[in-house]
Amino acid sequence: MSVPPAAPPSRIACVLVPALPLVAELRAHPEWAGRPLAIAAGPGPRAEIVAVSPEATRAGVRTLTSVVHARSTCAALVVRVLSPALDQAARGALLDAALSTSPRAEHAPQGSGAHAAEAAVFADARGVAALFRSEAGFAGALAERAQRLGLPARVAVASSRSVARVAARQLAYDASQRPGAGDVRVITPGGEAAFLAPLPLDLLCPDDAQAEALSRLGLRRVADLLRLPERALATRLGPGIRPLLALARGEDRAPPPPVPSDLRLEEATDLEAPLERLEPLGFVLRGLLDRLAERLACRGLAFGDLELALRLEGGGRDARRVGLAAPTLDLRVALRLALLALEAAPPTAAVESVAVASVGRAVRGDQLDFFRPAGPAPAVLARTLAELAALVGPARVGAPAVADDHHPGAYRVEPFRAPGPGSPAGPAHTAGLLAVRALRPPLPARVRVAGGRPAWLASALANGRIERAAGPWRTSGRWWSPEERFAFDHYDVATGDGCVVRLRLDLLHQRWEIDGVYD
Amino acid sequence: MPPISSTPPSQVRRRDLEALLRDLGTRLTRGGAEAPAAPCFPTGLAEIDRALGGGFPRGRVSEVVGPACCGRTSLALALLARVTAQGELAVVVDPPDVFDAASAASAGVDLERVLWVRPPGLGEALRSVEHVLQAGGFPLVLLDLAAEGAAAPRIPASAWPRLRKATAAAAAAFVLLGRHRLAGTFADLALELDAAAPRFESGPDWLAGLDGRVRLVRSRAGPAHADVAVRWRTGRHAA
Repeated sequence: MSVPPAAPPSRIACVLVPALPLVAELRAHPEWAGRPLAIAAGPGPRAEIVAVSPEATRAGVRTLTSVVHARSTCAALVVRVLSPALDQAARGALLDAALSTSPRAEHAPQGSGAHAAEAAVFADARGVAALFRSEAGFAGALAERAQRLGLPARVAVASSRSVARVAARQLAYDASQRPGAGDVRVITPGGEAAFLAPLPLDLLCPDDAQAEALSRLGLRRVADLLRLPERALATRLGPGIRPLLALARGEDRAPPPPVPSDLRLEEATDLEAPLERLEPLGFVLRGLLDRLAERLACRGLAFGDLELALRLEGGGRDARRVGLAAPTLDLRVALRLALLALEAAPPTAAVESVAVASVGRAVRGDQLDFFRPAGPAPAVLARTLAELAALVGPARVGAPAVADDHHPGAYRVEPFRAPGPGSPAGPAHTAGLLAVRALRPPLPARVRVAGGRPAWLASALANGRIERAAGPWRTSGRWWSPEERFAFDHYDVATGDGCVVRLRLDLLHQRWEIDGVYD
Repeated sequence: MPPISSTPPSQVRRRDLEALLRDLGTRLTRGGAEAPAAPCFPTGLAEIDRALGGGFPRGRVSEVVGPACCGRTSLALALLARVTAQGELAVVVDPPDVFDAASAASAGVDLERVLWVRPPGLGEALRSVEHVLQAGGFPLVLLDLAAEGAAAPRIPASAWPRLRKATAAAAAAFVLLGRHRLAGTFADLALELDAAAPRFESGPDWLAGLDGRVRLVRSRAGPAHADVAVRWRTGRHAA
């Protein structure tokens, strides 16, 4: 009987950003870095400050004070209202950073009390030492990815979620006290109890009632709590103490779930003042797409189709989809396509908030062939197609195709996908066939009819007596649709000025047109 | 004192020269020798290919000009069909929006290998051509500027050196269709087509084709004195 292999010991990394509202704002507005900045919970002078930058802290600004008080403390203070859109995008970016290094990651539960502003993500750290040389190397790579996405994060690796999170919180606290302190820490397996024992109980985030009760009992540190019998504690403090005890013992060792299949990433921002013109909106879009591109690149993906969602003044909404010919990470191309879409149909009112989303797509690979010529590199082709679409419009770039339709002017434009070198060759080559140039739309013509046949033609292209005419050939179709039905009598005519054209009589509207030129 | 060589100085010079020629290999040609022919794309029309010295040269700018109904488009589609049949990709930049997919398919063009770009204006058309040339991998680029009933396009003089350089770098055949010659001395090859005569068959009447002439009026690779009669046929048959 075979014995199933033992599961590897649990190792979990916690990626933690201590003041997410502040970081999210700086991520969207890097120009404010180094200035005293505070985030208020709402608009108005009485709103509460929920996060402050180190520069503002040095100037004496504190959280939980009002905006008026903060401004009176520091005249140069920049106050921004908490933006849920920026917050959510920053949380998403943090998860992307984790997923770029580990196959399993998930958001940590929201902190409470003094840790309410933090954002954290757990990532599975089992077996990563083989890829990153060590767990410290993995943690360093994770911190570096988060930093690249504009999120200065602390990373700790431990055998349980709670220990990893507490270690990350301690790193954040150390950094606030001693600038330049390290941003990664690894708690070796078996060292959790020794690590937690001297730490204050507040790091485990007990609720207010528990914190008060523990304080009344004189319990300050984790070791104090673990020294007491569990049953006696539960009798005095209620069954709610058990989860806290489990955290203190580091018992939450379940690894995060596998990567979610949803690769739709979104960046959004609320604007300070509504924007009426497209030019400033372009700057906002550029910032959003830039951040989205960084996140996609972090996951090894490229832009798929773009989804633009605008909230308009007066409560209206404007949602549109911008198609991309091929996945690309070229920011210039994505921005140009988005602006083209907006220019083609501008929003009906001033824009209050903007959200851009894209389902990440992998850039196509290609297999070369010894005996057939290689086309352009897939990434180059994708960029070129996107640039052409931005230049002439997405509907005007593609591969032509013959439509399965009886209408004489019918044609299709398919997305251009360069066939691989090994794909079968096209139809047999027939040299010397006369080609037709299609006129879209058909050219109006005036025709004099003699004996039931066209005898004289006047148009912007061909004029004069009709020397020879062949036809008519009748084409009709779509009789079931009053708007789309058609019926034509076609003639091939040669006029006195040397032109040979395809002339047609629209039987439904009784008008003559030239829809093609033999050339 | 250096040893005295017994080899005469003239033989030493000759030996050194031969060694140098061996080192330089194909990068050096003897004065007066013909330059190696540029690789080219044939059209499949034997007489025209012979007149062009094999076909439309790669890495060069070519022009095919003439009045309406002279056979420019038929010649371009023949070239396109041969190129795509070889498994190569091609681009058709078509500002007048006149490319007819059905006609191209009849001529044998593998439409899946054609990137069709329909720019709204001349500026966008030239930029599209530059984009695809810079991307590489498209060895044939057709620019159709033979808009029916429109004035001759005015291409800025500064555009030609750029296009020529990009064409050479991409090793692509850049073929321009127009009513009149536009590239001037920047064109390596120019074909002028005369107005073609329609050919009708009777009983009942049907258009059988056009009879035209193709004249080679400029060629950097060799003498430009060819005049070829071409019969274009519609592919239809008598009832």
